[in-house]
Amino acid sequence: MALEAIYVQVLALILFSIGLIVAIARRNVFFVLMGVEIALNAVNLSFVGFAKTLPADLSVAGQIVPLFSIAIAAAEACVGLAMVILIFRNRESVDADTYSNMKG
Amino acid sequence: MTNLPLWLIPLFPLVGTVLLGAIAVISSGSKKGPAEGIVGFLAVIFPVLAFASVVLLAWGMPTEGLRQTLCNWIDIPLFKVDIGFLFDGLSRIMLLFVTGIGSLIALYSIGYMHGDRGFARFFAYINLFLFSMIVLVLSDSLLLTFLGWEGVGLCSYLLIGFWNKDLSNCKAANKAFIVNRVGDIGFLLGMLCLVTVGGSEILNYDSLSAFIQMLIAGGHVEIVLPLLSLAGLLFFIGCTGKSAQIPLLTWLPDAMAGPTPVSALIHAATMVTSGVYLLARMGNLFSLLPVVLLIITLIGLATAFWAAVAGLFQNDIKKVLAYSTISQLGYMFMAAGVCAFDASIFHVFTHAFFKAALFLGAGAVIHALAGEQDMRKMGGLLRKTPVTACVMIFAFFAIIGFPGFAGFWSKDLILERLYTSGSLGPIFYGVGLLTAVITAIYMSRLIILTFFGSYRGSKESEEHIHEAPASMLLPMVVLSIGAIFAGYFWADSLGITMFKDSLAPVLSTAQSGVAHVHVNPIIFAGLGTLAALLGMFIALKVYGNARVPAAKGSSAPEGFKADWTFFFDTIHKFCGIIPVAVLAWIVDMVVEKILQAAQWMVGAIAEILGDGVATFQVRKVRLQLALSVAGVAILVAVVLLTGGSI
Repeated sequence: MALEAIYVQVLALILFSIGLIVAIARRNVFFVLMGVEIALNAVNLSFVGFAKTLPADLSVAGQIVPLFSIAIAAAEACVGLAMVILIFRNRESVDADTYSNMKG
Repeated sequence: MTNLPLWLIPLFPLVGTVLLGAIAVISSGSKKGPAEGIVGFLAVIFPVLAFASVVLLAWGMPTEGLRQTLCNWIDIPLFKVDIGFLFDGLSRIMLLFVTGIGSLIALYSIGYMHGDRGFARFFAYINLFLFSMIVLVLSDSLLLTFLGWEGVGLCSYLLIGFWNKDLSNCKAANKAFIVNRVGDIGFLLGMLCLVTVGGSEILNYDSLSAFIQMLIAGGHVEIVLPLLSLAGLLFFIGCTGKSAQIPLLTWLPDAMAGPTPVSALIHAATMVTSGVYLLARMGNLFSLLPVVLLIITLIGLATAFWAAVAGLFQNDIKKVLAYSTISQLGYMFMAAGVCAFDASIFHVFTHAFFKAALFLGAGAVIHALAGEQDMRKMGGLLRKTPVTACVMIFAFFAIIGFPGFAGFWSKDLILERLYTSGSLGPIFYGVGLLTAVITAIYMSRLIILTFFGSYRGSKESEEHIHEAPASMLLPMVVLSIGAIFAGYFWADSLGITMFKDSLAPVLSTAQSGVAHVHVNPIIFAGLGTLAALLGMFIALKVYGNARVPAAKGSSAPEGFKADWTFFFDTIHKFCGIIPVAVLAWIVDMVVEKILQAAQWMVGAIAEILGDGVATFQVRKVRLQLALSVAGVAILVAVVLLTGGSI
C-alpha cells in the first residue's frame, strides 16, 4: 500500500489532539508538560510526513525544521522541568489548579 | 649605525613600562615590595638605552632628516593616517634632552624615592611618560602627536597624584588633568579645522608644509586665512593648556604636589615645553598668521610678567620654581610669537638643564630637611649641604642670565629678537627686560632664604640635615654642568651658531619672512647682564639682612599676595567652574524632578491598568489554556471562512 499524505497527517492530528486534551484535562502538572510535548512532536511528525510525500525539491524544509524544533524542544523540556520542580518546591503540590497567585 | 629603526626609541621605555608595571602588580600583595636594586636598574637602563639610540641616530642623521612609516593606523574613506616617525633637526634636539634628562632624573629618583612603597609603580609611570613624550616629539603627524600629548597628560595626572593617600594631591592631579583637557579640546578642534581646509593628509607635517608652500605659490593664502587663523588659535589654546600659559596656567603650581623628580622632569624640563615644540613644528603655518602671532606674543609677555611677580610672593620653595617655570615658558612663547622659533627652542633646551638642576636641588634640600618645603624655615644650608648649594647657585646664575651661563645666551637672544620684531618690538623688549629683573629678584630671594643666613628651623631637625646620596648628587652635578655650558651651542657674540644651523633645515622657511635687522649683540648682552645684576642687588638689599617673618601654619601667600597669586584661579572659578556647576544643577533638577515625575506617572498608569486587567484572570491555569486554544480555533475558523480578507 502506497503512503498517502493524508494518512500521516491524520496520525499527526490525532496525536496533537491527544496532547492538547491531556494538557487541558489533567491536573497533575507533569502530565500537562507531557501533553505539551506530545503536541509538539505531532507537529514534527506532520512536517516529516509532508517531507516524505511531497516532491523532493519542496521537501527540504520539511526535513530541516523538525531537526531544529527537536533541538529546541530538548532545551524547552529542560527549562520546563526545572520550573516545574521549583514551583513544586515552593507550593508543595503538583496540582496545576493551585497555581493561581497571578490572580490579583 | 644610521639604519637603526626609529621605532626602537619609543620601544625601550615601553618595554620598561610593561616590565615595571608587571613587577608593581605582582608585588602589590607583599608587604615589603620588590627589591629596589633590580627595579632601579630596570628603571634607568631603558631610558639610557633610548638615549643611546637617539645619540647614535643623531650622529649620522642626514640634513633633511629621517622618515619612517611603521604601519597604517586609520584607513577609512576621506581619512587616512599612518603611524610614522620623523627624525629631523627639531626632533633630534628635543629627543636628546628628553631622553638624556629623563635618564638622569630616573637615576636621581632611585635615591629620592628610596623606601617608598610605590617604588616600582613610580618608575613604571616615569617610563610611560618617556614613551609618550618620545611619541609626541618623534611622530610625523598631528594625530600621533596628539596621542603622545594625551599620554603625557595622563602620566602627569598619575604622577601628581602619586601619593594618593592625601586628598589634596588627588585634587591637584584632577585639576591638572581637567585644565589640560580644556586645552586638548583646542588641539582637537584645531586638527578638525586643518582637515576642513586641506583634507586629512595635511595632518602630516611634511604634507602640511607642502600644502602651505602651495598656498603661497598659488597666492591663495587670503582665501583660507580665516580658517587657518582659527586653526592656529585653537592649536595655541592647546599649547596654553599643556605649557601653562594664560588662561590655563593654574594647574602647574598645584602640580608641585607630586614627587620632586616628577616636577623636575615633567613640570619643568620636558612636558610643559611640548607646547613650544608644537608651535615650532608648525612654524610654517604660524608664520602666515600675523594676528595669531601677535596674540601669542602678548600672552607670552603677560604670562612671563604675571608669573614672575607671583613667584616673588611664594614661600614654598617648589612653588617659586613652578612660577619661574611658567615665566620662562612665557619667554619661549614670546620668542615663538615673533617667529624666532629657533631662539625659543634654544631657550627650551637651556631651560631644561637649569630648571631640572634647580628642581633636583630643591628636591635634595627637601630630602635633607625631611620634607620641609617652607623657605621661611630654611636658611644657612650652604655649609650643611655644599654640593646641593653649588648646583643650585650655578643653575641660579643660569636662570637669571648671568654672563657666560646658559640662560644668558638664550634669554638675550629672545630679547634681541623681540626688539627687532617690528614697531611694537621695543615695548616687548622693555617688558621682557623688566621681567628679567624680577626673575633675578625672586631667584635671589630663593637662594638667600635657603642657603644663606642662619638656620631658622627647630634645633632637633637641624641635627638631621644631611647631604643627599651619590645617586642623587651625580645627576645634579651633570645638570649643573649643562646649566653652565649648554649656552655655548649658540653664542652669537662668539660666532658659534651650531644650534641654529642644526635647526635651520626645519625652521628656515618659517623664519624667512622676518626681516633681519642687524643689531649689536653686545648692547643686548650688556643690558641683560645689567638686569640680572640689578635684580640681585635689589634682592640683596631687601632680603639680605631683613628678618624673615616666622612661618605660620600654611606656606600659602596671604593678603594682596594671595590675590595676585590666585588671580587666575578666581577667574576660572567665575568663568568656568560656577557656570558649569549651575548648568549641572539645572540638569540635575530636570533629571531628578521632572523626568522622574514623568517616569512615575507612566509607571502608575501601567499599574492601575494592570490591576484592572487582573480581574479578568480566571483562577485555573488549565482553563486559561483551554480558552486560548479555543480562541486560536475561532481565529482560524474566521480566517478560513472569510478567506483572510476582512
